[in-house]
Amino acid sequence: MSEKIYAFFLRLYPTHFREEYGDEALQLFRDRSRDERGFFPRLRLWLDVFFDVTISLPREYFHLPWPRVAAPAPQRLNEFPAFYVFQNESPRPSALLVGGALSLVALTTCWVSLNRVHRSEDSVSSRFSDSRAASSATKDSYRSESAVSAPRAAASESGRALTASTLNPAERRRIVSGTAENLKQHYFDRASAQKTADLLMVSERRGEYDAVPDRAALAAVLTQQMRETTGDPNLSLDYFESPLPQQPASQTPEALTAYRENMRQQNCTFEKVEILPRNIGYLKLNSFPDPEVCRVAAMAAMTYVNHADALIFDLRDNRGGFPETVQLFGSYLFDHPEYWYNPRENTTGRSWTHSPVVGNNLADKPVYVLTSAATASGAEQFCYDLKMLKRATLIGETTAGAAHSGVWHRLDDHFGMGIPEVKAINPYSSNDWAEIGVEPDVKVSAPNALDVALKLAKNKLQKK
Amino acid sequence: MPKRKLDPLPSAAFQILLALVGEDLHGYGIMRQVAEQTEGRMRLGPGTLYSSIRVLLEEGLIEELKPGDDADSGDERRRYYRLTSAGRKLARSEAERLADLLRVARAKKILRGRYV
Repeated sequence: MSEKIYAFFLRLYPTHFREEYGDEALQLFRDRSRDERGFFPRLRLWLDVFFDVTISLPREYFHLPWPRVAAPAPQRLNEFPAFYVFQNESPRPSALLVGGALSLVALTTCWVSLNRVHRSEDSVSSRFSDSRAASSATKDSYRSESAVSAPRAAASESGRALTASTLNPAERRRIVSGTAENLKQHYFDRASAQKTADLLMVSERRGEYDAVPDRAALAAVLTQQMRETTGDPNLSLDYFESPLPQQPASQTPEALTAYRENMRQQNCTFEKVEILPRNIGYLKLNSFPDPEVCRVAAMAAMTYVNHADALIFDLRDNRGGFPETVQLFGSYLFDHPEYWYNPRENTTGRSWTHSPVVGNNLADKPVYVLTSAATASGAEQFCYDLKMLKRATLIGETTAGAAHSGVWHRLDDHFGMGIPEVKAINPYSSNDWAEIGVEPDVKVSAPNALDVALKLAKNKLQKK
Repeated sequence: MPKRKLDPLPSAAFQILLALVGEDLHGYGIMRQVAEQTEGRMRLGPGTLYSSIRVLLEEGLIEELKPGDDADSGDERRRYYRLTSAGRKLARSEAERLADLLRVARAKKILRGRYV
């Protein structure tokens, strides 16, 4: 038995050693085990053997013998390339067989795993791209644009974070159940919320999310599933790589002070308020800022263009803001209260424009709104409502499609959800601009929109 | 001149050379002789023994006896090894090197008792 064990150890040595000294080594072991009987001598023998194998085995492999087959180089070279071989026998058939089988197994494993990775990347990337627009657009903290700059930046990072943020099963369960709980608690349609939450939990238990590689992908997959089940494009689960603040930054007094100062310096983001040739009023509004800070500036802007014959609202760089301010500008364009659709609010008395505005001359003047693909959120509400009320001609590009009607709920340091909490009545159609944007009446590239608007306005004024 | 494999001479190789000074021995004989001359401190395992023997053979410091070379060898299946003159020379110079070291050690008075 001992001899067999030692013979096994011998097989670990390189062929050249076994061939040359295998029998001798075995004989030596045999001699020693014959002479060294008893517990302690035998123990010492085995200790020696282990020590010996540990020391000499690597040495034999790293210390190859001199070339044994090649003839001396000058004779063999004869101006032709030559190479040396260290073994003078061809490999044993069994070794060839084992080597072949091992190569086959290794290649098959590579092929299978590559296929799997490719498939799962495919499915994840298609899901991810479906909801990417929403992922990057719907994280507004509902009331302010300055407060969300950090999460928004993080959202654009989320694509790159795909590989960085791997997911463990416990965390996945926690995120899925947190999403389901928030949905049940806050979504306005209780029945649909219950159904969707149940579906998410069942999917989790069945292991349908096991293949989801990381947090960003999980957010995308759950978002898609919630939207498919409820049919509501405003539901979203978002992942942010950098930790989310405990409360929206906009709610701290310091942030409010900074925001006010910022607005004062930027003239409330009203970049241009001008009267262009042919008495066309031109307002370039880059946001709809907090009415508590900018109401006077907004009213002053509208007063300045009060005697214009036509109005152009340039919203090409406007990414939204406060619904009250959107409504404030809208109020100048009607001579009677109009229903002013806001997807974030139930229909109440506040849902009507404050028209007519005292002293206002603009209610019957032609209105043009310039849009771009970056026009978003509150600015889209302005476009959508004026278009539905047939009060303005939209010129430019289809807008971003960010309704932001979900109320923000923080799940943990990295995940948050947008959940619509009210069902706003849309009198125009079942779909607003969420995910699809607002189609302009005149489609032109954003940089040309102003020229086209001026031409249309002048034509219209000429006809009068 | 390329560096020789046995420079410096490993202790196992030196012990094998010393073991072969008086007589030709087979592997197990060498192992026992080494154990004896080191008072049991060095017991060469088969791997160490034969890889040292291989290097010593390649360097021409020992030679393998052809069967029938040695009438005294009782077992013809075993391979016997003999010290060559180069091996003897190397063993001597190694011993002298150690003796020099020993002299220095003595001068520094770090040796006590029976070594002195």
